Order: sequence, then C-alpha cells, then structure tokens
Amino acid sequence: MAAFPSASPSPAISASTWRMGSLRAALPTLRPSPAGRLRSSFAPAAAATAASVGCLGSFSGLAPVSNLLSLGAENSSFEQRLFSVDARGRIVAMRHGRRVPKLNRPPDQRKALLRGLTTQLLKHGRIKTTRPRAKAMRKYVEKMITLAKDGSLHKRRQALAFIYEKHVVHALFAEVADRYGEREGGYTRIIPTFPRRGDNAPMAYIELV
Amino acid sequence: MAAHVDPLVMGRVIGDVVDLFVQTVPMSVRFGIRDLTNGCEIKPSIAVDPPAVQIAGRASDLFTLVMTDPDAPSPSEPSLREMLQWLVVNIPGGADPSQGQVVVPYMGPRPTVAIHRYVLTLFQQKAPMNPPPALAPGSDAARVRFTTRAFSERHQLGLPVAAMYFNAQKEPVSRRRNCGGCSTTSAGRWA
Repeated sequence: MAAFPSASPSPAISASTWRMGSLRAALPTLRPSPAGRLRSSFAPAAAATAASVGCLGSFSGLAPVSNLLSLGAENSSFEQRLFSVDARGRIVAMRHGRRVPKLNRPPDQRKALLRGLTTQLLKHGRIKTTRPRAKAMRKYVEKMITLAKDGSLHKRRQALAFIYEKHVVHALFAEVADRYGEREGGYTRIIPTFPRRGDNAPMAYIELV
Repeated sequence: MAAHVDPLVMGRVIGDVVDLFVQTVPMSVRFGIRDLTNGCEIKPSIAVDPPAVQIAGRASDLFTLVMTDPDAPSPSEPSLREMLQWLVVNIPGGADPSQGQVVVPYMGPRPTVAIHRYVLTLFQQKAPMNPPPALAPGSDAARVRFTTRAFSERHQLGLPVAAMYFNAQKEPVSRRRNCGGCSTTSAGRWA
C-alpha cells in the first residue's frame, strides 16, 4: 500500500516512513463517532472521514511507532482496540487459552460480584455496568433462567442458593415459562454505550431479551 | 464488533416499537445543550421540559412526532408496554413541534424501576390530520398500552421516517446522614 498519487520526495524516503493514510486504509473500516452518526447514517460518513485522513497523510514526518500507539489509544470506546494491556502491564492482542474472566478480583469476591449482578439483572431487567462484567455475567444469568425453566424443587433450591433475594427467584420461576418458553438460550443482550466519566471504563447495558 | 449494527436495531427499538425502516428525514433532538444520540443516558431532571426537535424538510410537509416509553413499568415486565409521553401532529417541515398541534402534552421521563428506553418516532403525514382535543394534563391512565404501530396504521402514516431513542433511569436521592453525633455515642456505649 505504498503507492500514492500525492507528491513523495523520493522512493527511499516513502518506503521507510509510513503514511497515516496508508495505515488507516489497511485497517478494517472503523465506525464513525457516535455524535456524527445521527446526521450521516449512511454513505456520507465514510466520505467525510476519508477526506480528513487525506490531509493527515501529508504529515510524513511522524515516526511509525507513534502512529501505532496513537492509533490504539485514540480510537477508544466504541471501536475494537488493536491490542489491549492486561493487569500486569503486558501488551496482549489475543485471548489464547483464557477460559475464565477474572475481573481483577480474588475468587470469593468474583463469585459475590457475579451473584450480585445476576440478582440485580433479574430484578430490574436492564442494568448498566462495565463491558467485561456484562460479558462475564451472561453465563450465570442464563444458567439461572435455565434452572427456572426446569422448575423442579431441587432446581429452585439451587437458584435460591445463588441469587441473593428469594422473591426474585420466586418471581423468575413463575414467569419464565411464558417469557422464555420457546427461546432456546440467548436470554440476554449486551448493548455497548459511552464510557464512564471517572475512569473511561467501557460501559454496556445488559438486558433480558 | 466490526459490523455496523444500526443502534436502533441494537437497542431493539426496531422490533419492539416500530418496524424496519429507512431514515429519510434528518431529525435532531436536544435537551437544553445536550444533543441526543441513540442510546445515550439522560437524567429525568433535565428532561422535564420538552426537547428542542429540529426536523428537516420543506414547509409543505407535515410530520407527526410520537414519544413513547416501551419499558413501562419495568423492562423485565413491560405490562403497560408503550406509555405515551408526547404526541404532536401537523408539524410543518423545518420547524419544531411547538408549531404543531399537541394532542397529548409532554410528560417527562419517569422511570420507576431500572433503565427505560424512551423512543421518539417521526412519521410523515400525507394530509393534515384532525386531532381530537388535547388530553387533560391529569389523565395519566389514558397514556398506557399505546402501540405506535397501531397508531400509524389507524391514521395511514406508514413507516416512520426517523426515530431516536435514549435511556433514562431514576436518579438516586442523595441521603445525607449526619454522623457527627452517632460515632461518639456508640463509642461511649462500647466503653
């Protein structure tokens, strides 16, 4: 992706320095910012971002390393990060072998957190929390709904052992048949939203379908 | 999430409230200085007054604006599905709803439990509508169980031309507990 119609000083220089435009063009298309989404829901948005990138391409003095870092940092919130930084500070771009989301907590606290979140979701129907927590919660919420679908006394007691409030369990067991009777799995939905103000944590709404 | 999922589909507004449509008329909604985007969070305290809605279009077009809450009384049990918050008809294009005829006066979001979605739907009218007399402010009971689809079918409005939704939840009441005297008395008891 090195060929460009714009004036390049010499072939040697253009081969070594990366242009912002070529970097952006090589990436999958990124979503436009949410504020602009309203006016330009279809094609005009893509044209506007392409035009702004074209004038950025003239800054060939930028070192390629800073391009990459700024690309990962500036496109935060809605777009997929190119890489992530784990709790130890190491940069990892893959999820190989990771089975359990640890949520930066010891196991007892983690279980308590998930129990609390599940209780609240089943009680209110829609809650707003951080995206990793919402994704971790899905498994437990769907497990509870599956227990309720079964409906026997043993399953009810198992649900009572997990959910903190017993009226929530009884209400769930009463209404799950007509609500999720035909649906096989997939009882929750996660909708990402704007990041939190204090720490820029990516937030999401999780709701019962 | 690389795919561009329309936020209205993501928030299940298309499906719960309206059918799939193509937005043809740009609409912008503003509460005070806060511009709305799909799915943003608005506090009920700033949404007490009707928002400033700017509708593009020629002055000869007439629009109908419907604002409903599809999660009444609670998103896990929407038994009163679609509580009507606001209904304005005969809005000329390029203006805001104050130039139209208010059928149902604006009621600010009042989410009792959990997080509710509030959907603003815009329909284009083929002919000027003759609305019934405006609803009295006290009759909240008449607003429930409204269906936007049935409304548009009854008045032949067809598919909406624009839609927007935002979220609102009950603001926590800040409790100030005066603990200046409590600690000294409890310490005295333990000693």
